[in-house]
Order: sequence, then C-alpha cells, then structure tokens
Amino acid sequence: MDLQERYADDLVLVRSTGGRVALGVLVAALVLLPVGASGYLIYTASVVAAYAVIAVGLSLLVGTAGLISLGHAGFVAIGAYAAGLLAAKLHLFWPAAIVGGGITAAAFGYLVGLPALRLTGPYLTIATLGFGIAVQQVLSNWEQLSGGRNGLFLPKLTLGSWQLTDRHIYYVAMGTLALLVWVAYNLLRSYVGRALVAMRDSDIAAEVMGVNLTTYKTLAFALSAFYAGVGGALLALILGFLEPQLFTLSESIYYFSMIVVGGLGTIPGAVLGAALLTLLPQQLAQTRSWLPIIYGSILIFVMAVDPLGLFGRWMKIRLWFKAWPF
Amino acid sequence: MELLAQYGVVGLATGSLYALVALGIVLLYRTSRVLNFAHGDLATFATFICYTFLTQLRVPFGVAVVATFAAAVVIGAGFYFLILRPARETTLLGRVIITLGFALVLNGVAIQLWGADVRPFPFPLSDARVYHLGGVVISQISLGTTAAALALMAALYGLVQHTRVGLAMRAVSQHLIAAQVLGIPARRIFVLTWGLAAMLGAAAGILLAPTALLDPFMMLDPFLKGFSAAVLGGIDSMPGAVIGGLLLGLLEALFGGYVSVQFKTTLAFGIIIAVLIVRPEGLLGREFKRRV
Amino acid sequence: MTVVGRGVAGALLVVLLLLSASVQSQERGVTPTEVVIGTSQPLTGPASFWGIPVTGGMDAYVKLANEGGGINGRKIRLVALDDGYQPTRAVANVRELVESTGVFAIVGLLGSANAFAVRDYMVEKKVIWINPLADASMWTGFKGKQYLFVTYVSYTDEGRLLTEYAAKTLGMTTFAVFYQNDLFGKKGLTGVKRGADATKTRIVATVPYEVTDRDYSGHAVKLRESKADAVVLYSTPTAAAQVVKEMAKIGYRPRLISTSALADPAMFALAGEAWNDVILAAYFPLPGTDSKVDEVVATIAKGNPALARAPINAVAGVSFVEPFLEGLRRTGPTLTRDKFVAAMETIKNWDGDVVRGVTFGPDRRHGVTRIYIVKTEGGQFKRLTPDIAYPVGF
Repeated sequence: MDLQERYADDLVLVRSTGGRVALGVLVAALVLLPVGASGYLIYTASVVAAYAVIAVGLSLLVGTAGLISLGHAGFVAIGAYAAGLLAAKLHLFWPAAIVGGGITAAAFGYLVGLPALRLTGPYLTIATLGFGIAVQQVLSNWEQLSGGRNGLFLPKLTLGSWQLTDRHIYYVAMGTLALLVWVAYNLLRSYVGRALVAMRDSDIAAEVMGVNLTTYKTLAFALSAFYAGVGGALLALILGFLEPQLFTLSESIYYFSMIVVGGLGTIPGAVLGAALLTLLPQQLAQTRSWLPIIYGSILIFVMAVDPLGLFGRWMKIRLWFKAWPF
Repeated sequence: MELLAQYGVVGLATGSLYALVALGIVLLYRTSRVLNFAHGDLATFATFICYTFLTQLRVPFGVAVVATFAAAVVIGAGFYFLILRPARETTLLGRVIITLGFALVLNGVAIQLWGADVRPFPFPLSDARVYHLGGVVISQISLGTTAAALALMAALYGLVQHTRVGLAMRAVSQHLIAAQVLGIPARRIFVLTWGLAAMLGAAAGILLAPTALLDPFMMLDPFLKGFSAAVLGGIDSMPGAVIGGLLLGLLEALFGGYVSVQFKTTLAFGIIIAVLIVRPEGLLGREFKRRV
Repeated sequence: MTVVGRGVAGALLVVLLLLSASVQSQERGVTPTEVVIGTSQPLTGPASFWGIPVTGGMDAYVKLANEGGGINGRKIRLVALDDGYQPTRAVANVRELVESTGVFAIVGLLGSANAFAVRDYMVEKKVIWINPLADASMWTGFKGKQYLFVTYVSYTDEGRLLTEYAAKTLGMTTFAVFYQNDLFGKKGLTGVKRGADATKTRIVATVPYEVTDRDYSGHAVKLRESKADAVVLYSTPTAAAQVVKEMAKIGYRPRLISTSALADPAMFALAGEAWNDVILAAYFPLPGTDSKVDEVVATIAKGNPALARAPINAVAGVSFVEPFLEGLRRTGPTLTRDKFVAAMETIKNWDGDVVRGVTFGPDRRHGVTRIYIVKTEGGQFKRLTPDIAYPVGF
C-alpha cells in the first residue's frame, strides 16, 4: 500500500509518523493503566494479555503456517502446570518459571509436530483434538503430578523477599505480550515467516523449492506451543491456582474463535480477538444465555461472509478512506 | 469367562451406537470433504424435537420418529444449502470453523428452547426387562437399540451400494468434477447426503437418549467417541466406521473393566493418536493423496 | 500507517473498552434504600442445569422479601454473573462484583475449583461470603473466616454418617462407592472410608466417573463384580440415574445409599422403579415433606415456572440466601460489615423457611452440622431418623 524504495523500508515495523505517534500513545496508555485503576480492571487486562499471547501463537500456527490445531488448550495446560510446578516445588523465580513453562510446552509442540509431518487436513485436526483432550485427562487423573481435581495452589510473585502485587503481575503480563508480539512480527518478516507461508499455500511445492518441511512444520508447532505455554504460565501467575477444568475442549475452541473473529493470520487480529472475546462476555451481563448462540453466529458469519475478520474490516475501511474519492 | 462375555456384550452394544455416529461423520466427509463438528449437537437438537413430539404433542412413537427425521433432514440440508455452500472461505479450516459455529448455535438454541435440565426420554422398549443368554445379561432396550442401529447401517449399505442414488453418491465422492461432467446433479447429491447424515445423527440421538437421559450436552461424549471410531476405521470408509465403532466400544469396555475405569476416556483419544501415528488412514481407509 | 499502526489503533479501542469496564462504581453495596449482593454461577455450559435453578431460586426469594417491603427499609438487589464453571471467569466476576458493581456480600459461588480460586481475594478484601457452594470441610483450619458463613453440608461428614448408619442399622458389611471424579465425589469417598473404618466394614470397590461420561454400563458391571451389599452414590442425578438403571439391567440390586445432592424429586422420573428404597441424607426439609418448604416452592414457581421442574435446586437456592436475609434483619437499620457479622453471630438454633436449626457464633461459622436420613418409597421421601449431628469443624 505504501511505496517502498529500499529493503530497509520493508523491514521497519512502524513506518509513518502517524503510526509512531499511535504506538507511543498506546504504550503510554498501557503503562499508565494500573495507576488509579481498580483491581478488577488490572486483573482483566492481565488476563487479556495472557489470552492474547496464546492467540498470537495460535495465529502463527493456523493462520501463517496453515496447520490446524484444535487441542491448543493442551499446550496451554502444559505451560501453566510446568511453570506452576517450577515455581511451587522448585521455588524458581516466576519469570524464569514462565520461560520454563514455555520451553516445556515447546518440547511437547515439537513432539506433536513430528507426526504432523505425515498428517494433513482432517487427520491433523483430529490428532490435535485428541492431544488436547488427552492432556486434560492426564492432568485430571495424575494426582501426584498436578494435584488432580484438588487443584494446585501456586506461590505469589516475589522478587527476593519482596512480595509483588497485582500491578506488577500486570506489567509482567503486558511486557511479555509486547515482547512476544514484537518477536512474532519480526519472525513473519524474516525468511522463517516466508517459509511458513509457502508451506501453508502448498507444502509439496514449497518442499520442491527448498523449504525443509520437517524443520518448518515442527518449528511451527514448537513456536506456537511456546507461546501457548507462556500464555498458560501467565494465567497461572495471575490466578494463583490451577485446575484441569481451566483447559477443556471448550477452551481450545474459544482460542480458535479469538483468532477467527479478529482476522485469521494477522497478529493485531489475534490480539483484538482475544481482547474482544474476553471483555465482551463480561460486559454483556443480561444476554448471558444467548452468548453461545452469539459466538456461534459470529464464527459462521466471519467464515462465510468475511474471512478477514474484524481486522480485515478495519483494513478495508482504511483502504476505502485512502482511496477516496474513487 | 462370563465376565469377559458380559463386558463384550456391553461393549458391542455401546459400540454399535458409536458406529452409527461415526457413519454420519464419515458419510459427510466422503462426499463433501467436511469434518462436521456440528453432528453431535444436530443429533441432540433432533432428539429434543422428538421429545417434544412424544411428550407435548403426544403422537405415537413411529410418527414422532418419522417427523423427527424429516425435521433433521430439513435442518441438515438447510445448513448445507444456506450456509455452507455459499460460504466464501472454502478451505478445510474455514469449513471446520463454520460447523463449530453451527454447533454452538444449535446448543444455545436448544438450551433456550428446552432448558439445561435433564429429562427421561420415553421409549417403547423397557429397560427393566432383561434377557439372560448363557450367564450374560442384556436388557430389552440394549437389544433393541443395537438391532435398530445395525438395521440402519444395513439400510445405508444397501442404499449406497445397490441403488442409483448410492452410485451417484459414490461417484461424487470419488471425483466431483468428473461426476459433474457426466451429468450427475452434484448439488442435489450434496443436499441429499447432508440430509441423510442428519437423519443418521437423529437416529443415534434417539437410540442413545433412553439410557443416556436427555439434556443439551448429551451427545458431547458420544460424538467425540464416534469421531475416534471414524478415525480408527478410516475416515473415508463406511464399513470402516462400523468396524471402528464396534471395536472402540469393545476396547473401551474391556479396558474399563480390566485395567482402569478412570482412564477409560483417555483410551479413546489415545487410540486416535496411536492410529494417526501408525496408520493415519485407519483400518480400512485409503491413503489420502493430494495433488500439488 | 503500517500493519503495526493499524494494530495500535485497534488496541486503543481495546483500552477504551477496558476503561469503560471500570466506569460504574458505587459505594460498597449499601445505600439507605438498597443492599446489593452478588453471585457467580454457571449459567451457561454443562453445569448450568444446576446454576440456573439455584440462581432462579435465590432471585425469586429475594424478590419475595422485597415485595414485603424489603428489610429495614432496604430492598435487596441480586446481581448474578455467569462464570461457565471456569475459575478465570469466577475470579473476574468476583472482582467485578466487589470493585466495579460494589456488593455488600457474595452469596453462593459454585464449585470447589472456583471457591479455591477466589478464596484469598475474598479474605484480602474482607468480603462477606455466605455459602460458597463447595464441600464445607474445605474451611476447616482455614484462617480468615471472619466474614464467612456457611450452612452448606460437609460431604466428608455426610459420607461418614451415611456409612455408619448403613453398617449399624441396616447391617451392611461391604460397600462399593460410585463417585464423581472431582472434589465433590472424593470428599464423599473420604467420608465413606472414615465411616467404614469406624464400623469395621470394608469398601470393596471404588468406581469413579467423569462428568462427561454418557455410558455407564461398564461402571455397572464393575460394581456388580464387587458383590458389595451396598453401593454409595456421590454423583449428579444424571450419572446416578444411569448407573442405577444399568445395574438393574444386569441384575445387580444392592442397597443404594446416597448423598443429599441426589435428594431430588426428579430422580424418580429419571431412574424409574430402580429408585425405590434408596437411603438418602438431607440437611433441610425436602419438597413434598414439609408444608413451609412446599409453600416456598409454590410461591417462587409462580413467578418463574421453570423452577417447578427443578424444585430441589430452587429450594437449595433459597436455603443459600436465607441466612443472609436473617442476618440483615437482625442487624437493624445501620448496616456495616462488622455489625452484620455480630448480628449473624447471634443466630442460635434459628429456623428459616427452608433451612432449619442454624447456629453461628464468634467461633462458629458452620451453621448447620446435622443431617437426617430418609428413604424413598413409592415416589415419596420417608424420614427414618432424627437429626444426627457431626462435629463442628469451623
């Protein structure tokens, strides 16, 4: 849409001054949010950040690499429990535990990615579905590991002997989101991103052209699982308590809805979808029982009518304004 | 030995219902290449309609079933015709999402119309009458539902293998464009297939409801198990679906009886994963070949 | 603008949404004309069959009180939020209720997982909490019960007393336990174990099930294998009805002993003729056995006919909110948290419309520590024992 004269222009993340100002305002708003905001708001914002991390990861897998995963809650659960156990049993510093959770989930992502090499389309969908449910079942029943249905209580965030509050948790969550979004953007602009897109469009053709499918498929899963794991770890930190009930099939479908509604394959879409699907139910108190119907209709509508989702809508609006008066 | 036989009988009875669900899924996948995640909720919805016919309108059982089948066909075919066919996003993912959305809508509407509480389902066969066959006990209802399921499967087999319509269906699923070139009305076949699959789902729901008790989430577990069965047997093979269903029911009952009741459900999903790793096309399926 | 710029603009929209979420704030729940209370229940999802009638019952009973002019000149407003049985949403709901809506008390909140998740927050914010709907023994030994009042039953003690009754009075020597694979079922199982130990009887089988299971034939065969004299049920009505029917089908008819959660008239329809001669626990009068309770059911069903289909859950809802209303009455016109607590502590052996014999005190937060035993006979409940008390845990 904009004329680019040098490769550097293509690489830069924020091009125009307008964009830079908007970004600055956003960053300022997010940093200043906890000042004078209620605990409820801080909590909700932290939860949105955690879900946004998960959504971005899922978007990388589904939207960019074209691999379907209906069992993402499994990776989230693994990350959450891994981080929780690291913090609770090994008394690891929480940010380190979060990274640990992400890495554990990424390892499982790699393992799931291996059979994914042989599976396509419907088979992959079903395999990931099975994986997600199996993870939840194992966590429910393996009490020594996860506390089973009794749940797992987690320690609070501490820095040395200093106990930190909800505000600090918010900053950890938002900071992690910002960092991971930045990484995702960079990834997409690099050869990795291009390889993933090539894989999505036609994997056999991509392999013929030199994109090593084994590497990139497992990478896509591992990366996406890492994000999911980190998101799960953040949820664990925010909630302070884990129970397998948090990671059911409905949750996997929920994450899916986030990226669909926001716009499949786009990062801002994923964040927007996460925010919307977390905030809207809280705001629509009266229409509670209609919520599943509304969700379902939105999914159908987006896919059937406007696959680009909300973000696509926004882009179209912008494009209309830019191209005005034609 | 008797215990083994008892578990076997129980497993096969449940398995025949899983097979019925799996058939509906496989039928749709073979012809329209869509993984229908709304199958379970469609079945539940149809069962609720049957319930309304039976309890509020007080029509005889046979009439209610026929009316329900008609309603199921309308909903299934309608969904295909009005929503799926004109959809912009035709990738597998897009269609999966659409069916997921439809599932949520059906579930939500069912709760709005009938509430979330559990009800007993009136069925002409009694579940108090039991028959003893050499030490194994089986109830009248189990026998009846298994027989009905097997009969439906046989009827479907007859339709697909021995009628012209079935031939057309097979042609469309083998190669859509070639079939169209040959003059087969593909759109009509699709509508028919969706209606048929919806009917199979409704039948599965009606046969499950007497024992499983009717509520909006009744088919959640059976649907997932039916899915596993379809994968086990081969997601594009109808005999595979039947065998997969029976096998899954049997394995589940034996595992639950002799190994661990707690991990019974995990087994079903463990089987899917194992099958997908070892032989993705299932027991009887054909390998999925794609063109670049 | 770039991709990032667009994303930024979209995210600004989100921030605005977030801010709008905190705009409505009030004084913490009390005005001269109104008291605001809140609850978080599963109003959607698989647990909604419980959450909807319970909330309906609470709401209807509160309306009844308001129609009578309110309490001490104040009308009560119940704000019910849906959490879909998810701990993240339960926490969000509680925070919203306390910080955004501003409630004086939280009544109910279903599920041990959810209760555990919000527990520390409730203590930190000193929120009055009446009847978290989770096994009551979770509060034994918990610090921070200043603002907590519970009349809900303790499944551990209930299980123990049921088992002891079955062993001593009915002469059962072996038990099999069919239980839900979560805290509700497990606490019941613990109770049964204690009862078995105390009476030197044996538990010969423990058969768990998952809430999503729809096929109980395997469970029934396992139970039959155990050849136990009695099967103790710690489950939801759906699961119990199915497993009982399956057991009858394969010719196994043990004595059925069951938790109060199954004292639901709907069981007669669901389980049919197999639900006869079943021993049940109860801790408040059941619909059909007490005129006051039946009157309450009739009155609340008038405004909300759906409640008539789930009378036990609606009545349970009433029982959860009743003690709160009594506390309001006793506090008088000046309403503060500590005055309320003091007033609640004066409740001694109080009978409400549904809940009976409630006692609180400076060291006592568990208001009802008794059960009594009934059995089912011809579609009715027949009382078998006087009240059996268990030790006050907290």
